[in-house]
Amino acid sequence: MSNPITSIKLVLLGEAAVGKSSIVLRFVSNDFSENKEPTIGAAFLTQRVNINDHTVKFEIWDTAGQERFASLAPMYYRNAQAALVVYDVTKPQSFIKARHWVKELHEQANKNIIIALVGNKVDILEENEEERKVEREEAEKLADEEGLLFFETSAKTGTNISEVFLGIGEKIPLKGLENEHANGGLNVTEDQRVNLANTANASENASACSC
Amino acid sequence: MGVRSTSQEITRETKERRSHSSSSSTSLVTSLMKSWRISSSSSSGSSSKPSNKSSQSFSGNPTTGTYNDTMYNNHSHTNDNNTNQQHRPSNEHGLYSLSTANNSDGNFDAMSKQQNSTNKSITSPANTYSPLRYSSPSSSQIESPRASVLRQQHYKHSHHNQLYYQHNNSSNISEHSTTHKKSSDKYFEDLDEDWSAVIDNYNMPIPMLTNGGNGKSSVSHNTQSNDPKNNLSRTSTASSIATSITSTTLTQGQSLQYPQLPNLNTMDAIDLQKSQEEIENEREVQELNSIMQRITKFDNIIKGKHIINLQELRQLSWNGIPKPHRPIVWKLLIGYLPANTKRQESLLKRKRQEYSEGLKHTFSDEHSRDIPTWHQIEIDIPRTNPHIPLYQFKSVHDSLQRILYLWAIRHPASGYVQGINDLVTPFFQTFLTEYLPPSKIDTVEVTDPNSYLTEDQKEHLEADTFWCLTKFLEQITDNYIHGQPGILKQVKNLSQLVKRIDLDLYKHFENEHVEFIQFAFRWMNCLLMREFQMDTVIRMWDTYLAETSPETTSSFATPNQLSTNNDVLLSPHTPVSRKPAMFGTPNADLTSPMSSTNRSNMGVQSGASPAGVSSSDDSSTRFSNTSLNEFHVFVCAAFLIKWSDALCDMDFQGIITFLQNPPTKDWTETDIEMLLSEAYIWQSLYKDATSHWLK
Repeated sequence: MSNPITSIKLVLLGEAAVGKSSIVLRFVSNDFSENKEPTIGAAFLTQRVNINDHTVKFEIWDTAGQERFASLAPMYYRNAQAALVVYDVTKPQSFIKARHWVKELHEQANKNIIIALVGNKVDILEENEEERKVEREEAEKLADEEGLLFFETSAKTGTNISEVFLGIGEKIPLKGLENEHANGGLNVTEDQRVNLANTANASENASACSC
Repeated sequence: MGVRSTSQEITRETKERRSHSSSSSTSLVTSLMKSWRISSSSSSGSSSKPSNKSSQSFSGNPTTGTYNDTMYNNHSHTNDNNTNQQHRPSNEHGLYSLSTANNSDGNFDAMSKQQNSTNKSITSPANTYSPLRYSSPSSSQIESPRASVLRQQHYKHSHHNQLYYQHNNSSNISEHSTTHKKSSDKYFEDLDEDWSAVIDNYNMPIPMLTNGGNGKSSVSHNTQSNDPKNNLSRTSTASSIATSITSTTLTQGQSLQYPQLPNLNTMDAIDLQKSQEEIENEREVQELNSIMQRITKFDNIIKGKHIINLQELRQLSWNGIPKPHRPIVWKLLIGYLPANTKRQESLLKRKRQEYSEGLKHTFSDEHSRDIPTWHQIEIDIPRTNPHIPLYQFKSVHDSLQRILYLWAIRHPASGYVQGINDLVTPFFQTFLTEYLPPSKIDTVEVTDPNSYLTEDQKEHLEADTFWCLTKFLEQITDNYIHGQPGILKQVKNLSQLVKRIDLDLYKHFENEHVEFIQFAFRWMNCLLMREFQMDTVIRMWDTYLAETSPETTSSFATPNQLSTNNDVLLSPHTPVSRKPAMFGTPNADLTSPMSSTNRSNMGVQSGASPAGVSSSDDSSTRFSNTSLNEFHVFVCAAFLIKWSDALCDMDFQGIITFLQNPPTKDWTETDIEMLLSEAYIWQSLYKDATSHWLK
């Protein structure tokens, strides 16, 4: 028990082609590819990181961005403890979509869900700042109002990617500590599924379920 | 045990025969001929479909012939030449004789080869092709208890049928299919009570494909030819025989088709000493021969005919279409080109013009651009098949952009949905080969069309691709409209199917909280295109286009097409009436009894209806009931169950990760063909059981 593992179920949401899959690819494989096939349905990936002597295992559902697939999203965020809402700093439309996702998450998802607002593709701005179409202040304002973590990232260069996940990991109650707080017995929720956001003390195995 | 040892013997003997198919020999030949005439007529003669493949995967039991002997002796002799010559194409390997003779020796060679391939798969279904793949799991799971019960029931049933067909066998084609309709009526009556009837029922349409086959599908033959008491599932047969044959055989892959078997019985021992080189040469000659044979077969159907026999074409195409023929055959199968060759040119001219006018209109000033759609497509084009150089060329981007955009705005109910950008590419790539010099056809994936195509040709390519995509998507409209009900229904059907076929796997998924939609959504949305390499996808589409009837598509029919394909009009179950039954309405309760009722009704109709509709042209006779979505579910089931054993040892994460990246990189056409054959078998067993699942 010296190094207990906490599983965090995390979902990525955001408009098509903002770089959700690329963020995950960078985080999981430290890799990048310019033209990735559009995600269909959702993709599942995992990554372990160490945070303060704890091992945190991210179980990531990377959802498809196109509107047509949006009806699948609840299935993936319903049990998530964390969400990345991603937009493209060069695409104002994608920020509008991000607002919608934040709203939907607050309404539909787990109340304790940790949400990070992520403005991706800042590498483009390094070449030409005029490409920026979503001001940092605007995004920070939204993050403040809604209680979100906020990051600007580049999956291409790797900027801030691990920070996003570490930031989320630090916000999630870790397993060892959780036990001290005797925070048990909360697994039963409105859903027949196990609600992991309230049950960081749930066993590792349970974390593999129902996403 | 008697049965098995017999099989082993025959297996060995046949292996010898294989290497020396040109040399004739004595009593063995006679006995083999006897048995293989029979099973050849049973598999290739009666079923257009996977014929030799289904025997591979299912029966593959050399006792087939023995068992059938008494039943089939008569007609197999009378019909032999006819049947075999006509249907040898369905033997994927074609004619293996070194000589080109089509006489009975040739037939025998083909048959013997067929047996060989069968035996190959019996002895080592795994090793023959790709050890990892086929030794996998699936085979052990492939036969659920339910399936064997079915077979037993069917076994009894087919006794009657056989006599029946034997009786009818000498009748000509049209009589034959009429008879079929009658018999199908008969068995449709008790559809819901009798599983074997369900199977018969399914088999009904098949004989109609075969112009005088003996009226039973390979499936039913295989089914009944397996002695149910021994429960010779593929695996058990495989393992029992495999163990008795040297391990040499097992480790020799497909590359060694003529293995030296140390403990062969005796015969042709001298020939066995032929050098490896000679054998290799011989094999190459044979392979070349079989390819030529196949090409000739397609030529015969397509060229110099006024009306192309689509029925024959479908039958032949199921097992793969030679590259040079693929563009035109796809256009025919999908119903873009009319079967009447005299109308083809004018139709192409008109459709191509229509497309180009559509573009002009769409991109004219008065037509406002649908910016989000345009933009979405623009984003996705460079992300389409990013690993294939062909799709990085600017001219290809432009073509695909126009095709997809025009399709999207013409189909506002669905609009552009990701995945459609995948589906357009097999058409584009295949039709592109039409305009490339022969030397470039094999390298189409790295060839810039700009270097070889004139502007006109590029336009034609684009237009043809557009129309064929349109026809194709019409069959699966519900996959892309709001809520994607077609896909949800398919995923649901897949899970129910797996529950029936492979309960262990189903339960394991349940225990691990794996939901089918988590991995199967993409399988449906992109028709498994993301799971396979492009060349295997294209091969798969040969079968898809052959298997699924354009009649299941809806009202693409232009006046021209109505006149060339009157079946669409006259069919008692027009797409309008069948579609809801196939797919359900968007919010239809999947368990609605309504849909199952419709299904059975449809079956009855299709079994009974074709009479009279197509007297003028038997090629327009209804081919099958299969819809694209439906067949695809069976392919997905076969694909999933292939990994069953491995999956059952994995946890949630392992399962999902595995299924997102299945190890199919090295799949060859042979692997795909095995998969399609398995799907076909499952379909033949379960297709009409949907009413049972959904209750």
